[in-house]
Amino acid sequence: MTAVAPAAFQQANIDYLAVLPLLIVFGAALVGVLVEAFVPRERRHTIQLTISVASLVLAFVAILFATKHQGLTFGYTDGATSRRLFALAIDGPALFMQGALVLMGVLGILIMAERFGGVGSDAFTASGASTPGSPIEAASARAGLITSEVFPLTLFAIGGMMLFPTVNDLIGMFIALEVLSLPLYILSGLARRRRLLSQEASLKYFLLGAFSSAFFLFGTALLYGYAGSVYFGDLSKAVSDTSLGLNGLLVAGAFLVFVGLLFKVGAVPFHAWTPDVYQGAPTPVTGFMAACTKAAAFGAILRLAYVGLDTASWQWQNAVIIVAVLTMIVGAVLSVTQTDMKRLLAYSSIAHAGFVLVGVLAFDQRGVSSVLFYVVAYGFSIIAAFGLVTLVRQDGGEATHLSQWAGLGKSHPVIAGTMAFLMLAFAGIPLTSGFVAKFAVFAAAIGTGGATGTVLVVIGAVCSAITVFVYARVIVLMFFSEPADDTVEVLVPSVGTTFAIAIGTLITFALGVVPSSLLDLADRASQFVR
Amino acid sequence: MTSTAEAVAFWILGPLAVLGALGLIFARKAVHAALGMALTMVTLGVFYLIEKADFLGVIQIFVYTGAVMMIFLFVIMLVGVDSSDSLLETIKGQRWWSFIFVIGLAGLLIFTLGQVTFDAKTVQAGMDRLVANNNATGNVTGIAEKIFGQYVWAFEVTSALLITAALGAMVLAHRERIVPKRTQAEWAARRVKENQDVAGLPAPGVYARHNAVDTPALLPDGRPAAKSVSRVLVARDQVARTDGYRDVERYIEREIEEGRQK
Repeated sequence: MTAVAPAAFQQANIDYLAVLPLLIVFGAALVGVLVEAFVPRERRHTIQLTISVASLVLAFVAILFATKHQGLTFGYTDGATSRRLFALAIDGPALFMQGALVLMGVLGILIMAERFGGVGSDAFTASGASTPGSPIEAASARAGLITSEVFPLTLFAIGGMMLFPTVNDLIGMFIALEVLSLPLYILSGLARRRRLLSQEASLKYFLLGAFSSAFFLFGTALLYGYAGSVYFGDLSKAVSDTSLGLNGLLVAGAFLVFVGLLFKVGAVPFHAWTPDVYQGAPTPVTGFMAACTKAAAFGAILRLAYVGLDTASWQWQNAVIIVAVLTMIVGAVLSVTQTDMKRLLAYSSIAHAGFVLVGVLAFDQRGVSSVLFYVVAYGFSIIAAFGLVTLVRQDGGEATHLSQWAGLGKSHPVIAGTMAFLMLAFAGIPLTSGFVAKFAVFAAAIGTGGATGTVLVVIGAVCSAITVFVYARVIVLMFFSEPADDTVEVLVPSVGTTFAIAIGTLITFALGVVPSSLLDLADRASQFVR
Repeated sequence: MTSTAEAVAFWILGPLAVLGALGLIFARKAVHAALGMALTMVTLGVFYLIEKADFLGVIQIFVYTGAVMMIFLFVIMLVGVDSSDSLLETIKGQRWWSFIFVIGLAGLLIFTLGQVTFDAKTVQAGMDRLVANNNATGNVTGIAEKIFGQYVWAFEVTSALLITAALGAMVLAHRERIVPKRTQAEWAARRVKENQDVAGLPAPGVYARHNAVDTPALLPDGRPAAKSVSRVLVARDQVARTDGYRDVERYIEREIEEGRQK
């Protein structure tokens, strides 16, 4: 072979309308950073809130326009080898996830912005740098300092989450993983009350997250060694081109990359961070994480499982089946023993991650649509649930111990009733979105998952039954037991928080009664572009 | 194919890089570990240079050995050179498990690399293409074309990461000044008002043959004055003992006494 003349510079083909939603969110985050630098402190909270919500609504409109611009973008087709080297895949699942993330992000931000009459957000500390319990901390609160940086940080996280299911190569996926994780590590450590717990949660999340990123990166390196490319299309092609047989690089690489992604959804045995971080982080951030991180990570898992490593599925699916079974069982069983509301919801979210994994393992278009539906249904419910947790107080702090919720149904029937309804949704009782979502993933698994799918569904059904006990216990506690002491109070939320909780609950109800519109949309959006 | 000079360079630098990596793992002191890492990084940079990736080699030395290693050293400085990690195992059998996994991973990599077949023709073709690329566009331009062409999205999105990191550092570590800083005049006024150390803190000891901030001054009865040395030095246990200086003083006094008697 003679020396090949190097190709001239090839510009990336960019469809700006297709990536406009991402650009809007990242752009708004940058504007938010500038607001922090130049706007006087008293006006920052309102301005940041306006920018965040407006940009997310705008991004949603842009997503509607982007549906007309589906396809691969931000790259080019290599002339000599006709390989398609594109960084982003704007397709049905990506846009569906982006839309869901943007809407759930609006609700999350509205709850984060709750002030309860104070200067800044009630959930966030006045000064993140002050030592917990120090005079400086008290002085900062008195001086009216606020941590309004949480809004641009949240926007960065949402941007990374929107990017996560959209990327078309492993490097892009790694960057998206970091872009969404880094702001969450910071947000977790900024609670106003019980700050040591919050900082511990942040540090744990950061260290374990860094390890999982390292796993992901190492897996990426091994897969690159196997396929000679990081693009999902090349990866899939390389697997189908080579002779069948266990390849050390492929199996180990796929396994390590999955570890990185399964960590983000909190699947067992990579779940150790979930309860501690959910408990320690400020409650609105916990709700935001539980809904949006999970959705984004499942989007990325779908893309990897259905586009990148689809041809190699028989080499890694057994490992993921084991993970799914463990996740369902551990999540369900351990949630029984919890006495703290936030930890209970954390373990329940682990169990839910297991149910969604069952849908992922269906290896079918119906599997994709059921997963898309599940994460949206669960996301709206969990945001509303954590929004309610922020309202129940004792001595100024959040009353998260279950005993403090006893008898809440008598003193505050609306709050307790809403919580009970959401609990029914988590349990998967008919007329709630939880039922439809569980039915969809289980039906997909039985339909195309074969014998393993059926076994998974049986285990899933048993675990759902176990979790029903957990949620029923909370409902019984709220409505049929006497309050331990009457100093537990429920704060009156502002319009924003009320709106967020109401919308979350309404969607939980609507998706349970008339799920067909969203199911249809998820069905139509379940086709990946390659 | 590999030239003699390249082979010689590899067989000298290769063991050095491995030695540095082993030093990173086994060094007891954090500074030594950091230096071992720096050695490995520099050697890798030289490897890149040998492989005709000039830009990458220089960047490797600049960014990793220069900037990143400096940050490591800063961290060690902040944490304190003396602090050493507890070597106690908190998770039982962790060391053995990690040992088994490392052996497994090493076996996997060696096994896979062992299967690689070197085809002289393909290698030569690759080298030719590399040389042609380097001649036509140059090393730096080649990377620029990748960054601003194929990988432009990844390159741009990384900026979000850097901004988040900067913002996070400010949020978590920057303390806004709430109370105005006291001026020297205000400190002096406060000392007078509280009638404590009105003349300022006592200076450290000045002796006939010794004068340093870590030696406390002596009170009239011969005890060291605690306030005369910085509390940081006291906390670090770096305050010098004064017994020796008192002995010298006594010795000089005795000589003067003897001189008078003569």
